Amino acid sequence: MRLISGFFQDLAKNKVLVLMLLPTIVFFLINNYSPMVGVYYAFIQFDFNSGLFDAPFVGFQNFEFLWKSGKLLELTANTLGYNVVFIFLGNGLSILVAILLSEVGGKWFKKISQSVLFLPYFVSFVVLSVIVFNLFNYERGVLNTVVKSLGMEPIDIYGQPNLWIAIIIIFYLWKNVGYSMVIYFAAITGISDDYYEAAKIDGANMFQRARHITLPMLKSTFVILLLFALGSIMKGQFDLFYQLVGNNGLLFSTTDILDTYVYRSLRVTFDFGMATAAGVYQSIFGFILIITVNGIIRRLNRDYSLF
Amino acid sequence: MKVRDDSSAKWFKLLAYVVVILGCIFCVLPFLLILSGSFSSNESLITSGYHFLPRDFTLDGYKIIFELPQEILRAYGVTIFTTVVGTTTGLFLMTMAGYVLQRKDFKSRNFFSFFIYFTTLFGGGLVPWYLLMTKYLKFGDSYYALIFPGLMTPFLIILMRSFIKSTIPDEIVESSKIDGAGDFKIYYRIVLPLSLPGIATVGLFLALNYWNDWFSSALFINDSSKFQLQFYLYNIMNTASFLATFGGGGVSLSGGVPTESMKMAMSIVVIGPILFLYPFIQRYFVKGLTIGAVKG
Amino acid sequence: MQMYKKTSKWLGLAIILSMLIVALAACSGNKNNNETAATNPAPASTESATAPATPEGLDISKHVNLEFWMLGDAPRDLKKVQDEINKMAEEDLNVTVKFNFTTWTDWDQKYKLMLSTGQPVDLIFTADWTQYQSYAKMGAFLPLDDLLPKAGLKLQELVPQNMWDAVRINGKIYTVPATYKEYVTNGFVWREDLRKKYNLPKPVDVPSFEAYLEGIKKNEANIQPVAIGAGVQDSLQNMLLEIARNEVGQVPYGMFATYDDPTNMTSYWGSPEQLEDLKLFKKWMDKGYFSKNVLNEQNIIQMDKIINGTAASMFGDNPNRFNEILTKMKAAHPDWELEYYPFPLTKGYATPVHPIHNGFAIPKASKNPERALAFYEKMVTDKRYNLLTQYGFEGVNYKVENGYYETIGEESASGFPREGMHGWAWRNPEYMLFPASYDGVNAIFKELDKIEKPDIYTGFAENYTEYQAERAALEQVAKQYLWPLIAGRIDDVEDGLKTFMSKANQAGLEKVQEEYKKQWLAYLQEQGIK
Repeated sequence: MRLISGFFQDLAKNKVLVLMLLPTIVFFLINNYSPMVGVYYAFIQFDFNSGLFDAPFVGFQNFEFLWKSGKLLELTANTLGYNVVFIFLGNGLSILVAILLSEVGGKWFKKISQSVLFLPYFVSFVVLSVIVFNLFNYERGVLNTVVKSLGMEPIDIYGQPNLWIAIIIIFYLWKNVGYSMVIYFAAITGISDDYYEAAKIDGANMFQRARHITLPMLKSTFVILLLFALGSIMKGQFDLFYQLVGNNGLLFSTTDILDTYVYRSLRVTFDFGMATAAGVYQSIFGFILIITVNGIIRRLNRDYSLF
Repeated sequence: MKVRDDSSAKWFKLLAYVVVILGCIFCVLPFLLILSGSFSSNESLITSGYHFLPRDFTLDGYKIIFELPQEILRAYGVTIFTTVVGTTTGLFLMTMAGYVLQRKDFKSRNFFSFFIYFTTLFGGGLVPWYLLMTKYLKFGDSYYALIFPGLMTPFLIILMRSFIKSTIPDEIVESSKIDGAGDFKIYYRIVLPLSLPGIATVGLFLALNYWNDWFSSALFINDSSKFQLQFYLYNIMNTASFLATFGGGGVSLSGGVPTESMKMAMSIVVIGPILFLYPFIQRYFVKGLTIGAVKG
Repeated sequence: MQMYKKTSKWLGLAIILSMLIVALAACSGNKNNNETAATNPAPASTESATAPATPEGLDISKHVNLEFWMLGDAPRDLKKVQDEINKMAEEDLNVTVKFNFTTWTDWDQKYKLMLSTGQPVDLIFTADWTQYQSYAKMGAFLPLDDLLPKAGLKLQELVPQNMWDAVRINGKIYTVPATYKEYVTNGFVWREDLRKKYNLPKPVDVPSFEAYLEGIKKNEANIQPVAIGAGVQDSLQNMLLEIARNEVGQVPYGMFATYDDPTNMTSYWGSPEQLEDLKLFKKWMDKGYFSKNVLNEQNIIQMDKIINGTAASMFGDNPNRFNEILTKMKAAHPDWELEYYPFPLTKGYATPVHPIHNGFAIPKASKNPERALAFYEKMVTDKRYNLLTQYGFEGVNYKVENGYYETIGEESASGFPREGMHGWAWRNPEYMLFPASYDGVNAIFKELDKIEKPDIYTGFAENYTEYQAERAALEQVAKQYLWPLIAGRIDDVEDGLKTFMSKANQAGLEKVQEEYKKQWLAYLQEQGIK
């Protein structure tokens, strides 16, 4: 109770701040919180004659399809695995490129290389899938044309599930590094020159400055990107996987993630209950993870935590 | 000491150039395939595949897209309109939110951060949201449907918060308060000008979100004069995939089916204008907007 | 520690707040449900109270606007057509109509959303491929039985009784079927000039088709013998079942019955017949008749391949599409020849499309079902309405010469191409216009008419609520373990089939098959089919 009255006291004390935040609060209440009632779809048997609350309650029946195929574990592992790699490789590479880019001279070189690195972000996955198929297909692919001209046997890339782990990661990085690089680059720009001057005077070389000034200053940005990525660790990148792999079952063992599984399974069935159920599973997973990690970060350094 | 610094700087710079150039090549190569594909004839793409230079140069891919220029120009117009209006409005609201959420003396900031972040974890799914937009807000077939849902995202708000937090030391806010400045004035006079790189970044991302949006059109727009560019092009491609799936079921459609070269041309058409935005944004990624400059 | 405690307090508060919000939203949502439920029957009762509608007559005293929904993209001149239609409809029925189109992007999602959220839709397209049977069964549409004599008498007379009966779901009519008869049965498509050149046999069945493929492979190194779509279950397995095994329809879940003996339904999956078929596909792949990477090819390339000459044949396609490919190929390569041989000629019977294939329904949320039906009747039976909505304005969009339809100007730039509103459902054979290039299709249809038999499969509406989870799981299992087998990508076919069967059984195949068969037999009995 004290907490709630304290909460309102704080609001009353900061009227202007609350007013400035108000549009945001209202926006999320309307656009995001009010539809949350739909989570209930996960527990009912949908039909056209009854509304959300008078449809029959079926408990966890809508969740069954997730484990019926015996693949839930594999899917969860794949989804988690890919996302963990994406988070660390993606951020690592972005930070590296951002630091290096901030050090290269030449106004034009800087501008042009930034734009070029950003280019892949605009390529849609549909188009990317066409390109990838043309690079790797067995009969006419660019790669196999080269291999054949060297007098070797063509490689059946679309039949090698393990290769696709690398292919997917590479194209993820290709498409996303430019984007998150911009975030880090902006953060580096925000670092005051005073720090670097002081370090220079202390005799720190460029590697040391990068290591001891730039990196620590990027920590809070990294933590934010990390926490957002963790919250949706069971979701995401549907287009990347679906467009590159398609319905090639040969590759599913290493490339099937929850989103693609749900999409394939429910494409024929029009069942909102099951779709919502899959979403609930993903959400709860992310929720538990995020509360834990945020708690840990909060203990280590309050300033870095999300909430 | 100076010598040591110079040599390390030289190596560092060399490394930087090598890595950046390699990265650029890696990014640009597939893109060149797309570009050359867009200038190739569909037949050569299918018979001999993609090459870095078109085998037989043709503008056919673009010709089909621009066959009715007024349609695609209108789609451009819609996208530019929604991008500009959405980005400016969203940016205004999000900078305010980011500022408020990083104010140390605002005790409830963590509660509200969580309130915003929570929406990325749980969602009600498509049906209730669709109902909200069409039945309760009555945004069906209007520009509101294209602008409203994308105004703010939790990620960008929190990112904004972090940018402001890292560029504006608490002391400035404190001292301004002592000087008698109100909360809004501090935001307007100090925080906004100092956070330009952050604002530019968040603004760029928000603009990209609007630019790349096709889903809102797909769900809420029936009047083809209100289609966003991405949707307009995406829809042409989808006709092909529809035919592939259901054509065998005896569905016949008149008109042409998009070709490979047309797909490539489309992605070039979409990318073109937004690429010009980036160098413009880059102007704000400059150092030197130091605290001293503002205070002095 | 203290901080941590505080977090959990905030968390508690947040949860309470969000629950409160959800509860509030729930209340309002609930209220609204009741509201719609309450208002829905209301108009009917007030209508009957104020102006008792006579059985023949329709009360048109109040002006209403109808929301008409069709799939796909709108033609550019839609607005003009709509204005013209509204002039007539206003006078005839005191209604105006708004023609809406879903576009082809996510149309299925939108279709679902509109029907399930109670959008005010008065008329909507239905077909077997939009899952008419399931929607009707789940109560998405209004039954038309009582409405027809009241508001659609002419329609009721125009559509033959057997067609009305064929679209019944649980004994009720939920859609107005199209009366135009067409065939979407499949047939071999091949390059005739190459066949002549190398003196290959004409493909009429699987062995002759194989011989043709063999001949192409031997003589033309750069031409792929057959273009197969990425959806191999349709493009290989179902084609084979249609031509070689006389399957009754495209039965799901690996079940199988022949047209002549429909009650004898068995599992094709795991059977010796399937093993034999899979080995055949494997052989085709090994010999290089189709691409090793067929699973990742985009379907549409299949057609392009014939047009460009990178492939020499297709395992199966329907007469309409064959005609389209032929026209396009001729435009690009006038000296090439393309031939077609319908499967039904080999099988000895042809089934025209089931009446469910094209229809229009009135969704449950419609506020003016009577007027909607009356308007739809106009679209079908009134020549002015029908021609305008099928072909646009005569003299502007099209002209009729020597009895043939002709688009004015470039087809892709036309403001209203032929059947530009996708009016498949309201085609009226009496008013239909065909382009000259359509003669070939009509000739095929005429031939098939001679061996016509009814489609006994499509009218069956499966109820899968009992095995929804298994059904969804099976969908994935088939793509992962069966599709690569069909595409010839598993070296040991026998072993691969065993793996697939064990995975399928684990996903609940037996339960699904059993339940499906039970429903199917009940349907056959109800229809009196033996």
